[in-house]
Amino acid sequence: MELFLLAGFPALMAAVVFLLRQDRLRKIILFLTSLVHLFVTISFWQGPRDVQFNPFLGFDAASQLVLTLVSILFFVVSIYLIGYLKEKRRRSNGIFMGCLLCLLSTMTLVTMSRHMGLLWIAIASTTLLSAPLINYYRKPRGIEATWKYLLISSLGIALGLLGTLFLAISAAPVKTIFLADILDNAALLSPSWLKLSVIFLLVGYGTKMGLAPMHTWKPDAYGEAPAPVGALMSGAVTACAFLAVCRVAQICFHAGLQRFVSPIFILLGILSMGIAAIFIMGQKDFNRMLGYSSVEHMGILALGIGLGGGAVWASLFHAVNNAFAKGLIFLVSGNLYQGFRSKKVENIQGVIHRFPVTGIFLILGFIVLIGFPPFGIFYSELLILKEAVTAQRYLAAFFYVLFLSVIFFGYSGVILRMALGRPTEDTPVTAKKENFFMIAPLVILLGVLFFSGVFVPGPFYDLLDEASALLGGR
Amino acid sequence: MWLDLALILIVCLGVVILGSSRLGTMIQLFAAQSLVLSATPLLVHPGKHAVVMTMGTLILKVFLMPNLLSWAIRHVSIRREVQPLVGYGKTLMLGGFLMGVAFWISFRLELPVRETSNLLVPCAFSVVMVGFLLLVSRFKAITQVIGYLVMENGIFLFALLLLEKTPLLVEMGILLDIFVGVLIMGIVVNHINQEFGSASTVNLTNLRD
Repeated sequence: MELFLLAGFPALMAAVVFLLRQDRLRKIILFLTSLVHLFVTISFWQGPRDVQFNPFLGFDAASQLVLTLVSILFFVVSIYLIGYLKEKRRRSNGIFMGCLLCLLSTMTLVTMSRHMGLLWIAIASTTLLSAPLINYYRKPRGIEATWKYLLISSLGIALGLLGTLFLAISAAPVKTIFLADILDNAALLSPSWLKLSVIFLLVGYGTKMGLAPMHTWKPDAYGEAPAPVGALMSGAVTACAFLAVCRVAQICFHAGLQRFVSPIFILLGILSMGIAAIFIMGQKDFNRMLGYSSVEHMGILALGIGLGGGAVWASLFHAVNNAFAKGLIFLVSGNLYQGFRSKKVENIQGVIHRFPVTGIFLILGFIVLIGFPPFGIFYSELLILKEAVTAQRYLAAFFYVLFLSVIFFGYSGVILRMALGRPTEDTPVTAKKENFFMIAPLVILLGVLFFSGVFVPGPFYDLLDEASALLGGR
Repeated sequence: MWLDLALILIVCLGVVILGSSRLGTMIQLFAAQSLVLSATPLLVHPGKHAVVMTMGTLILKVFLMPNLLSWAIRHVSIRREVQPLVGYGKTLMLGGFLMGVAFWISFRLELPVRETSNLLVPCAFSVVMVGFLLLVSRFKAITQVIGYLVMENGIFLFALLLLEKTPLLVEMGILLDIFVGVLIMGIVVNHINQEFGSASTVNLTNLRD
C-alpha cells in the first residue's frame, strides 16, 4: 500500500491531470498528491530503517534521507505552483503538470531502487521527464537549453549504462547486480572491470549531478527553466543523482577501493568549485548564477564523499540543507521574474523597496546559501574543511577555502546590489503584486531550513549517522 | 560464425554512417544496423529471453525510431550535413584509430564471464566509439541523435555478454527509456526546426557566458 502511494499514485494522478480540462482541478490534484506523498514519507520515520518491499524496491537510511527531502521540496513547490501557473497561457498546463507528477514518481523510484539496473532506469527517466519542464515557455532560448540538457544528459546516462553493464560484468561471480548481493560479495568482484565501471558510473551520474567538467548544461537549463522547475531540479533531482553517486561510493567502500576513488571525487569536487568560482564572478544573469552555485555545492558534496570519515556525514548534511536552500532561492527568483519580467541582474535592482517580503527572503536565501553561521551549510562546510585538514589534504583545503571566498565575493556583490540597490525607473506594467502563494512556500522552506540546520531534531541526526555509516563515514 | 559475421557487419555499418552526409541515408543505415543487431541475441543465447529482446529491438529500433526521426525532419530543406566540425576524411581516419584503440583495450581486459565470440567486446567498444565520434563531430541535431543511437547499439552489444543474467524487466525498461528519449529528442528537433528554420545546432548559440 505504501509502495503504491509513493511510487504508483503520482504516476496515476499524472494520467488524470493529463486528461482533465480544468486548470483549477489540476492544481488541487497536484497539491493533494504531494500532500499524500509527504504523509506517507513521514510515516516511515517511525518504523524500522530497512524496509524491503520486494527484491527490486526497498529502503535504507540513505534512501529515506533523500526521499524525505524530495517529498518536502515537491510539496512546497506544489503550493508555489498554485500561484505561479495563474498567468494566461495559450497551451494547456496538462503536459507540464503530468510531467511534474511523473517526475515525483521516478524520483521516488530512484530512492527506492535496490538494483543497479533499475537505478539507471529511474535516473534516466528523471532526465527525460525534466526536459519538457525546462521547455515550458517554448521560447528559442528555452529550446536551446532543452536541447543542450537532453543531449549532454543523455550522453552522460548512456555512459552510466555502460558503467552499469561493466559493473554487471565484474559481478559475474555474484550473478546479479542487486545492491545487497554486490555489497555482501564485494570481495568477489573483478577489480579491473570494477574500476572501469566506477569511472563510467561517476562520469554518468556525475553528469546528472552537474559536476565539472560535465556541468555545461546546468547554467543553461536552470537559467531558462521556470523557477519552480529550477527549484525541483537543483534541489531534488540533483539529490537523487547524488544518491546514485553515493551508491557507487558504497560499492567502492565495500570492495576496498577507497584509495582508488577518493582522489577522483576530490578532483571532481575541487574542479567544480573552481569552475563555479570563475563563472560566478561578474555573472549578469541571476538564474545562471544560481546554476553555477549549484555546480559549486555539488562540488562540495563530491569533495566530502572523497575525503571520507566525518566529511561523509557533513556531505549528507550538506545535501539536505543545499536542497532546501536552493528551493528557497529559486522560488525567490521566480517572484523576482514575475515582478520584474527579467532575469538580468541590471534590471532587478532595489528589490527590498519594491517587494519588501521577497527582498528579505532574497537576503535570507543569500545568507543560507553562502554559509553564514546559524544555518546548516555553514556547519557542513566547516566540518569538511576540518576533515580536509585532519586528513592532511592541505592542497585540497587550500583550494576549497580559496574558491569559497571567491564565490562569497561574487555572490555578495550581485545579490546585495539586487536587494538594496536603487530601483530603476522604468517599471514594467505587467508586474504582479506579492500574494499569499508566492510568500507561503518561502516561509515553509525557511522553517524547514531552521529544523534541518539550526535546531536539528534527534531522529534526523540518527538518520544522518546511519546513512553516513552505510558509506563508510563516521 | 554467424555471430562474427553479424558483429563485423554492425561495425562496418557504423563506419558507413560515419562517412555519409545525407540525413535520409543515415537514418536508413541506422535502421539496417539495428536490423542486424536485433538478430544477435538469438545467435548468442537462443531462448525465450532472446526472442523477447529481438522482438523489442525490431519494433523499437528498426521501425519506430527511424520513422520518428524521418518525421522530425520532414520539413527540413537542407537534408545533408553542410559543414561538419571535422571533415569526412578526418572523421573516418579518427574512427579507424578509435577502433584500433577499442581492440587494444579489449585484449588487455580479462573477461570474468564466458564469451561466445572473442569479437564481441572489441566490436561493442568500436561501435560505442564510432557513435560518440558522430555525436561530437556534427552540427545537425538529427545527426547527433543518430550518433547517440549508434552508441546505444554498441552498449546493446555489451549487454549480450550478460543476456541470461539480467532480469528481462530491467532490459525492457532500458529499451523503453531509450525509446522515450529518442521520442522527446525528435519532438525537440521538431521545435528547433520550427523556431530556427533549420535543424542545425549552429544556431543554438544564444546561451553563453
